[in-house]
Amino acid sequence: MTTSLLDIRDFTLDIDTFDGAVHVLKKINLTVRRGETLGIVGESGSGKTVLVRSMMGIGPKRSRIMDGRIVFDGTDLSTLDNAGWAKIRGVRISMIFQDPMTYLNPLFTVGKQISDVIAAHHRATGKPKAGKTARRARAEGLLSQVGINDPTRVFDQYPHQLSGGMRQRVLIAMALTGEPDLLIADEPTTALDVTVQAQVLELINDLVRTLRLTVIMISHDVGAIAKVAERCAVMYKGEIVEQGLTKDILRNPSHEYTQRLLAAVPEIDEVAGVHSLLECEDPAPFESETSPAKPLLTAVDLRKTYGLMGGGTVKAVDGVSLSVMPGEVLGIVGESGSGKSTVARMLLRLIEPTCGEIVFDGSSITGLAGEALRRKRRDMQLVFQNPHSALNGRHTVGDAIGEPLRIQTAMRGRDIDKRVEELLDTVQLPKAFKYRYPHELSGGQKQRVCIARAVALHPKLLVLDEPTSALDVSVQAQVLTFLEELRGELNLTYVFISHNLAVIRQICDRTIVMKRGVVVEEGLTDAIFDRPQHEYTQALLASGRQTSRAALL
Amino acid sequence: MLSFTLRKLLTVVGTMLGIAVLTFVITNVAPGDPARLVAGPNATEDMVATIRTEYGLDRPIIEQFAIYMKDLLSGDLGTSIVSTRPVLDELIRYAPATLELVLVAMTLGVVVGVPLGMLSAVYKDGPLDHVTRILSISGVAIPAFWFGILMQLFFSVDLGWLPVSGRLPLVTRPPEMMTGSLLIDALIAGRFGTFQTAFSHIILPAFVLSFPCLASILRVNRAEMIEVLQSDYIVAARAHGLSSRRIVMIYALKNALLPTLAMIGLRFGWMLGSTVLVETVFDWPGIGLYAVSSALASDFKPVIGVTLLIGFFFIIANTLVDLAYAWIDPRLRRA
Repeated sequence: MTTSLLDIRDFTLDIDTFDGAVHVLKKINLTVRRGETLGIVGESGSGKTVLVRSMMGIGPKRSRIMDGRIVFDGTDLSTLDNAGWAKIRGVRISMIFQDPMTYLNPLFTVGKQISDVIAAHHRATGKPKAGKTARRARAEGLLSQVGINDPTRVFDQYPHQLSGGMRQRVLIAMALTGEPDLLIADEPTTALDVTVQAQVLELINDLVRTLRLTVIMISHDVGAIAKVAERCAVMYKGEIVEQGLTKDILRNPSHEYTQRLLAAVPEIDEVAGVHSLLECEDPAPFESETSPAKPLLTAVDLRKTYGLMGGGTVKAVDGVSLSVMPGEVLGIVGESGSGKSTVARMLLRLIEPTCGEIVFDGSSITGLAGEALRRKRRDMQLVFQNPHSALNGRHTVGDAIGEPLRIQTAMRGRDIDKRVEELLDTVQLPKAFKYRYPHELSGGQKQRVCIARAVALHPKLLVLDEPTSALDVSVQAQVLTFLEELRGELNLTYVFISHNLAVIRQICDRTIVMKRGVVVEEGLTDAIFDRPQHEYTQALLASGRQTSRAALL
Repeated sequence: MLSFTLRKLLTVVGTMLGIAVLTFVITNVAPGDPARLVAGPNATEDMVATIRTEYGLDRPIIEQFAIYMKDLLSGDLGTSIVSTRPVLDELIRYAPATLELVLVAMTLGVVVGVPLGMLSAVYKDGPLDHVTRILSISGVAIPAFWFGILMQLFFSVDLGWLPVSGRLPLVTRPPEMMTGSLLIDALIAGRFGTFQTAFSHIILPAFVLSFPCLASILRVNRAEMIEVLQSDYIVAARAHGLSSRRIVMIYALKNALLPTLAMIGLRFGWMLGSTVLVETVFDWPGIGLYAVSSALASDFKPVIGVTLLIGFFFIIANTLVDLAYAWIDPRLRRA
């Protein structure tokens, strides 16, 4: 157990760009012992993905090793040629990836992709090439090893016919093909739902035990790291700022960055946060009213049915009713496929409901069309999940924020300019940002621009569809705090959609839990979290708590 | 897949009807009195009136349309005034030459364009990439008739390597007509000498016709390959230890081929249209040359016939592209 399998010494890597070399990795020192699981924590841009890809020789094209070396089982990897790599890559070191949706080739069956990997390994290691049936048998064996119940059927399926969790299992099967010594897991659960996350982590833990794998797992999710890794390293701006036993790092982080990172992680069972902090400063308006006020938004029996090409229908949303009081934050929580995004889009009439009634601000908007609907849109705006794709790369920030003003108001030229500056001020960005293009901004800054654009017309209602799930934990915390402040400042009402229970707990007054198109539970957020009634809510909370910090200490 | 194919074939019928209607409308809204055009500049009023009655041009427009559609459906495309023969017979005579030319040109475009595009993507910003970039820009920018004449001057007049024009020299007896393609018919008849002669005649026009098509296929395939090579599943394939050759030629190329296929379908129709120019320059006896000579003689029935035929080929080509799409991409094969 004490022999080191991978030894990284003073590894320094530059990437050439148009503006000169960027130091992506600085003097990395890391040792991985045979049989252990090492975690690497860090946010996007910290260099953790570049580091692990360098271990497989698939790092960025224009990168240069400036100093140091990576030694794997006695071999210095930086000296390998193509033939040398072929014996290592996928065979002795293999990798699983973040987003199972995009890491499988869409045009080939699962079986074909696994069989090809098997064939490539035989060629690289000089073993006799196995026949088609032998490869099929091996591939099906691998599929059942990763917990796929009907490998024969899955073998002939295409990636788009599988769920996210299944695809991740297929990718893990592919990574196990060469019976590797070292498995690198690059954010393997980030793109998955909570319950699926827990299953995949469980699977990785099982495989480590049964196959005696050595694992490097990288993640920005401290909870996931803590669940599988006994030792971990914290990366920040291309450096390892801290490493040691995971428990020690979680209990008393010594580096200032680690402390900040841990403080930013929202906790399911932590009520104290921005939420209560804000209530002291500015009690939410709906709570101060004595008589029950009229709801700002009411939806009755919303349904959305999609017809399938081969006949039959899918009920994406099956009879959802909800109401939102002015000034309230309503959370909608559920896994992917539960219909929560469809509900959000129907509330804004961006998707036509198959049936149901929506009353917004005292008047029904179900029957509105054309100009009347367009005018109504001023009062209700949407903030999207992924700020990177929600902004047009060819428009400046000023154009993006000014766009609703140009479309919906009579404002022109200098007035718009002035209002854009005000809005940038509101979202706490410098005025000069209006000249910038989206690619010059970080994820958190882009999401602020999206929020500025959404509030440009003084809407009454803001629907936030997973506004922080594409962001790093520390950025997520900033955006959540900011959303809370903004609500008080502009007198907004939020419908907040998320699959992240901790985030919901932090920001929402009331919550509804959705599963397969229906509401299974609704009530005050604290009540739902403390005393969940429906078994689905209980299961959801249980899997969420598994990776929470509190559970691991 | 079967119902997908059947649905596609149904849309072919619908689109063909649309083309037929559109052709009729255009010939009827075009300025000028067809009867007077047919009769010629020196005709008397009586002659014009006779022709008008003979061609049914004095009847109400709806009735004319009904007759036009009835004739079309029974395969009657009218009679050419110049040759006094049925247009359909003449199309059957001329179409194989054009199809042969277009198919050879398309094969050239695909066989050269796709690999070149793939290679310039793999060796992006290398010497080959720069050469293909110049090639693809000139391919789209140079007008076909000028390029054709240039090629004739260089390869036929200056170097004397290839014949200037035509399909076969007058002295050569054409092989017995089986498919209409001289190349294939000569092979079937076992006359390899004739095959060689026919081949030397088709090289220049096919190359001139395929150059713009080759250029755009190259361009699209290069751009797509560059994008695909950066995608996650290619990174994953490398990490799983697949060889670079397999990754590029199979895993990436199949994905990049989808948009390239769409370009091929479009370019096919475009090629049929530019046969009008290329066949004139190279004196190639196909429907393009037939359309030009008929139009110059104000002979309208053949022009309508050629329009319908080109439309028909275009639809067939694009339906094949649609089917190929579904064959390659499982996500499009619904139900």
